[in-house]
Amino acid sequence: MIKKLLIANRGEIVRRIISACSDLGIQTVAVYSEADKNAFYLKKANETYHIGPSNPVKSYLNIDALIDAAKKSGADAIHPGYGFLSENASFAEAVVSHGITWVGPSPAVLHAIESKCYCREIAHQNGVPFVPGTLTLVKSVEEIHQYVQVQGCPIVLKLDKGGGGKGIERVQEPGEIKGAFEKLSRVGVLAFGCSDCYIEQEILQPRHIEIQFLADSYGHSVCLGERECSVQRRFQKIIEESPSPVVTPKEREALFQYTQKLVKGMGYQGAGTMEFLRSAEGHFYFMEVNARLQVEHPVTEFITGIDIVKNQLSIASGEKLNLEQGEIQFQGHSIEARVYAEDPVSFAPSPGIIQKVRFPEMDGKYLRIDHAIEEGGSVPPFYDPLVAKVISWGPNRTEAIDRLKKALEEFHIEGIQTTIPTNLLILKSPKYVSGEIHTGFIVDMYSQS
Amino acid sequence: MEVTVKAHMPGLLARVEVNVGDKVKKGQTVAVINCMKNELMVNSGTDGVVKNILVKEWDEMEVGSPMITLETA
Repeated sequence: MIKKLLIANRGEIVRRIISACSDLGIQTVAVYSEADKNAFYLKKANETYHIGPSNPVKSYLNIDALIDAAKKSGADAIHPGYGFLSENASFAEAVVSHGITWVGPSPAVLHAIESKCYCREIAHQNGVPFVPGTLTLVKSVEEIHQYVQVQGCPIVLKLDKGGGGKGIERVQEPGEIKGAFEKLSRVGVLAFGCSDCYIEQEILQPRHIEIQFLADSYGHSVCLGERECSVQRRFQKIIEESPSPVVTPKEREALFQYTQKLVKGMGYQGAGTMEFLRSAEGHFYFMEVNARLQVEHPVTEFITGIDIVKNQLSIASGEKLNLEQGEIQFQGHSIEARVYAEDPVSFAPSPGIIQKVRFPEMDGKYLRIDHAIEEGGSVPPFYDPLVAKVISWGPNRTEAIDRLKKALEEFHIEGIQTTIPTNLLILKSPKYVSGEIHTGFIVDMYSQS
Repeated sequence: MEVTVKAHMPGLLARVEVNVGDKVKKGQTVAVINCMKNELMVNSGTDGVVKNILVKEWDEMEVGSPMITLETA
């Protein structure tokens, strides 16, 4: 088993991973940038290392600094968390080449699945339905016009190596092709160092359904159910839940089979997520793989009782997955609300100092709060706005909603603006309560109010 | 008269969109600040000509950090 783990990340996920390590008797090494030097979660780690200035490019995205900290601390493994370098094949490669265990799929797999077209091809080869569109890259405006002449609009132009809600351009009519293609190429070069893109047919009012899986190095994998993450703003999730209010047992079975085929086809090991879109007509299409621990993993942990981080660590240590699909029980319903440091209506960023915080009354059976905030603590402007995740459980969806609402009403943060009011507005809206959600839900909610 | 365009939000300077000597109009975007992964436009409050650019890419901005000076008529 891993003895000492370096966590190449910041914020709530560092705390989350440290807590799994404490239970497993693994020593922890946390790293920090200048802006995070006083962050309270650092005290929970056995050792801490300063890795650079506030600019993430020079700290949390700085491969040399991270490897250096791992070497100095004597860490024998690195957990990349989510975001930052978590799906970066070059980082994984550097980690492995220094004889350090990488907690995640192998560098070769990470490299291959960076390309969404490759993943679409794997789906195609394995009989898994995927979002209609091109299986290969489109190189010019003319090529996109030709596609649209045959298949029609609306389409979505996507960067082959995009992610995190970036690198997606909707095209409603042929006149928009040129502008969208040029914008995407620019964003591609700036944000991902690659402007390759392909076409997907736009699925109207889709629901975002993803399957969490665990796969060991011996070809064994299990699915830990689905998460519905349809409530999003700017392609970023805000409310997630499991199970989905619409997925039937038969559909779940089919999604599990698709997932296992994709995992096998990709040669994937570790924890991961296969993302699917469900059209308004009820058809499922594979969209992409997330090769990391997901922000929303706690809802799965709540309904299965399985600790995903601990399983990541044991799989990375070369242990066999001690779980069979038939043993996995799904109990009750869990919902996560992401609390962002943002204006609750305009979603403008709201960094600053937390003047006061009052947490809801806790009962571990029904409520979990993963966060990285404390009074007097700073929410720096340099990183993702996520400051806390409030996760509820109930024997059914109605109770899970009620418990989450109560917790959010009791959760007070002063000094910065947060999306707690947005979360409450969603949870109280009749459409959410009846389960009628899709990825345009928030836009619709605000345009009708 | 010289006018200084200041940062209205903290973050990292993503890019400057003007060059020294450029004529800018009131409301024109002169720079972009990356704050919590959002790109926020910094717009000029006045017409003028760019005199000095005081910041470079990836500089850390605070609210009120001077960014660009303009010569106004």
